[in-house]
Amino acid sequence: MRKLVGVLPIVLTSVLVALLCKPIGGLPALGKLLDPVDGCWANAESVSEDYNHKLKLDGVKAGVTVMFDDRLVPHITAANDYDLYYTQGYLHAYFRLWQMDLQTRAAAGRVSEVLGEKALKFDRTQRRKGMVYGAEQSLQAMEGDPRSKQMMDAYTAGINAYINTLSFKRYPLEYKLASFKPEAWTNLKSALLLKYMADDLTGSTDDIALTMLRDALSPEVFASLYPERLQGVNPVIPKDSIAPVATMPIPAAPADSIAWAHIAATDFDKSEEGKGSNNWALSGSRTKSGKPILCNDPHLGLNLPSLWYEVQMTAPGVNVYGVSLPGSPGVIIGFNENISWGFTNNYRDVKDFYAIKCASANTYWLAGKELPYTIRLEKISIKGKPDYFDTVQYTVHGPVIYDEAFHGTGGLKKPLAVTWMAHRPSNEVLALYLLNRSNGYDEYVAAIHHFLCPAQNMLYADRHGDIALWGQGQFINKWRGQGRYVMNGADSATLWGKEIPVAENPHTRNPRQGYIASANQTVTDTTYPYWYNGTFHEFRAWRINDVLRNTKAATVQDMFALQNDVYSVLAARVLPVMLTNITPSALTDKERGYLNMLGDWDYRLTAESKAATVFQVWWANLYNTLWAKRMEKMPEALRPTPERTMQLLVEGSPYIGNIADAVVVSLRNSMDSLDRLKKADKLQWYRAKNTMVRHLTKLPSFSYASLKMGGWGNTVNATKTDHGPSWRMVVQMGDEIEAYGVYPGGQSGNVGSKYYATFLDKWVKGEYYKLQFYTSTNKPAPTYTWTINPKNK
Amino acid sequence: MRQKIITIIVMVALGWLCSLFMNGLWVAAVIPFISTVSMQIKGKQGFVLGFLGMAILWLLLILLKDVPNHHILSTRMAGVLSLPNAALFILVNVLLGGLIGGLSGWSGVVMNWAFRASPNPSQGGASRDKK
Repeated sequence: MRKLVGVLPIVLTSVLVALLCKPIGGLPALGKLLDPVDGCWANAESVSEDYNHKLKLDGVKAGVTVMFDDRLVPHITAANDYDLYYTQGYLHAYFRLWQMDLQTRAAAGRVSEVLGEKALKFDRTQRRKGMVYGAEQSLQAMEGDPRSKQMMDAYTAGINAYINTLSFKRYPLEYKLASFKPEAWTNLKSALLLKYMADDLTGSTDDIALTMLRDALSPEVFASLYPERLQGVNPVIPKDSIAPVATMPIPAAPADSIAWAHIAATDFDKSEEGKGSNNWALSGSRTKSGKPILCNDPHLGLNLPSLWYEVQMTAPGVNVYGVSLPGSPGVIIGFNENISWGFTNNYRDVKDFYAIKCASANTYWLAGKELPYTIRLEKISIKGKPDYFDTVQYTVHGPVIYDEAFHGTGGLKKPLAVTWMAHRPSNEVLALYLLNRSNGYDEYVAAIHHFLCPAQNMLYADRHGDIALWGQGQFINKWRGQGRYVMNGADSATLWGKEIPVAENPHTRNPRQGYIASANQTVTDTTYPYWYNGTFHEFRAWRINDVLRNTKAATVQDMFALQNDVYSVLAARVLPVMLTNITPSALTDKERGYLNMLGDWDYRLTAESKAATVFQVWWANLYNTLWAKRMEKMPEALRPTPERTMQLLVEGSPYIGNIADAVVVSLRNSMDSLDRLKKADKLQWYRAKNTMVRHLTKLPSFSYASLKMGGWGNTVNATKTDHGPSWRMVVQMGDEIEAYGVYPGGQSGNVGSKYYATFLDKWVKGEYYKLQFYTSTNKPAPTYTWTINPKNK
Repeated sequence: MRQKIITIIVMVALGWLCSLFMNGLWVAAVIPFISTVSMQIKGKQGFVLGFLGMAILWLLLILLKDVPNHHILSTRMAGVLSLPNAALFILVNVLLGGLIGGLSGWSGVVMNWAFRASPNPSQGGASRDKK
């Protein structure tokens, strides 16, 4: 008995330790996390950490040198392509493993595996969208070309070489917090990451919303509020460019009664006002140096660790600098010794919906025939629960995304299949491989023609003075209106037709105006022969064109200023209309007080401006007031775009109701919000909008909030609450390339590293780093060096 | 008193050595036990010495990482646990090490009593200390 009692404390201690090693509920395994040897403390990196390493790695074929500059940007020099991408994979994993892992799990609908049942709906959505299906299709194409296959194989091997060195102690902190561990990388994961980007950039369309609106509104009201093309735009492709000649006739549209499906009342995700990326290039005729300047600031979700990882990659036949996506090989946006390029989202609609007419549990109707579904059984593993199986039915159109078993937002249960360009095989990896090595326009064009989805406005400038842009992607030769609304999936006339040859994509080279600018606006004017629709944004394009049209001798500093420009075209056009509809004598003192702030406002949404806050709050209220009544039964997301609303207001359109009333009511309605902001000392615009760069876990202490930044979706610097310029780049081409860049983050993904958010401060202030481009003649001394050799040498 | 200090020093030194090849939880769960068993510690001293030994060891191990890190990680981790600052986070962390160490030390004492027919463990080693 005494011996039994003697063992009790040992049991007690063991139980305590065992409990501490297990995650309980939503809590991490506290003992393992707080262990001073292997726990979070192992991730506390000394601020004077010595990054010099001599590595011997299996799989490296020859020697590799990695020189890190003072910002921890690696400059890789390899003797062959394999070693180059192997090393990039190793570096991505070394600095960013967790985010790569999480993002590809998210793409594949495998989040429940690590976060539990709360992610099941998300995972099912991903599976039903056909994310893995699409990635598998593309992987076949990628592995079908020896260049992209080698690139991916090497990249994957490099990542795995790093993962294989890891024990719990050296896991990124987030693994310790969420109690899971890294898994081996595969080429499929890289393909998934690219589909994740495709989904982010082409995944949301307003097809379902418009279907409902078309049924709900009279044809003339619908046409006025939701014009197929907005008038008065500055298209991406300037007017004087020669439109491609269509080699195929435009198909005839079927009768409405055949073409369209109908959707009953439902609910929708709120669409974002003015998402936005910008790029523009000036030819030498408009720059002080006489050399072309290329600028790009792709706007994406603002997260930490940053989406981007800066890198320079050098091997025989390639010397490229720019930003890469951890999880994918190559440089996405950047420059080499001869050319520079930048991307903005193209926003042409490449995702369409079909209402499926079920025949039986296993069949559906198409052209009078009963066809069987192809079944894809999706197994979703859930942490701490049994596996979940989702049966996804594939039709000729694509996977059935919503049905009785999985409702769309707002309970939409009508079976809808989705046809999406991202489901088709495409080899974006090869496009990047070739693009990184392009030495001139023809090579550039040949390279980007492999880039099929997500479609991008691909801007180009070279050291010989050429500027160009392609609205590049794979598009379908559609009949007029095809895919704008949910289509009748039972009639074959609605099926997607032939692909438009990529050579006939909209493009421009050295236009007479001396510059090219894209900011997600309408791509072409009416001279483009093929029909398309899309969700285009115009405010930033108006502003950029206004500025560039009057730019004569631009310097890189002028370009910095334009990327950081916060002049609101919306405010400039709409505020005068709002003010003329106000009778000051009819206002209360308080209302007059706020109104006076707008008196000498310059329409700039600067960080400290209080007038900017007053305008934004008032405008938001006005927008709501104008549409709330007319669209009472409609979800908010279905309202006309801010661009169209502005035009209707300026025109005094009858479709918009009594403007004077709306203006007064909305000002009155703004008082509460403005008072609340004032009371909380948040009347300054940056305090009111609260720009955040958040860690992917959303943990506040890993994130940065209330950043002192101006701008909004209606300004060139479209920095919103959690969305903004994810990389700002300005490159002056010439014999010597002068390049600048900054992104909101740092090279290391480790929250315990001083390199975690190093660049954030400069990014907030609108400042730039001069990028160190190592060439044969320019080799600055590195801050740290890695030498990597094969194990047997 | 001297024996107590020696015990603590032994625990810290031994723990330090072991932490080179095992994790801190194991160290805290095992070292005080071995120490109190082998050094014939009695009574509540087992818990107290185990607690102090491991708390000191964990504090040293933590400071060795935290100081060169300029508290970057500890400040962020404090936020995760909703603690106001890094110092409190370190304190909580150290107390956890102490708790495991204390239980481990106490286990050693009880073990001694159960298997070596020593006097009642509750009488403690206070009298010996006075000598």
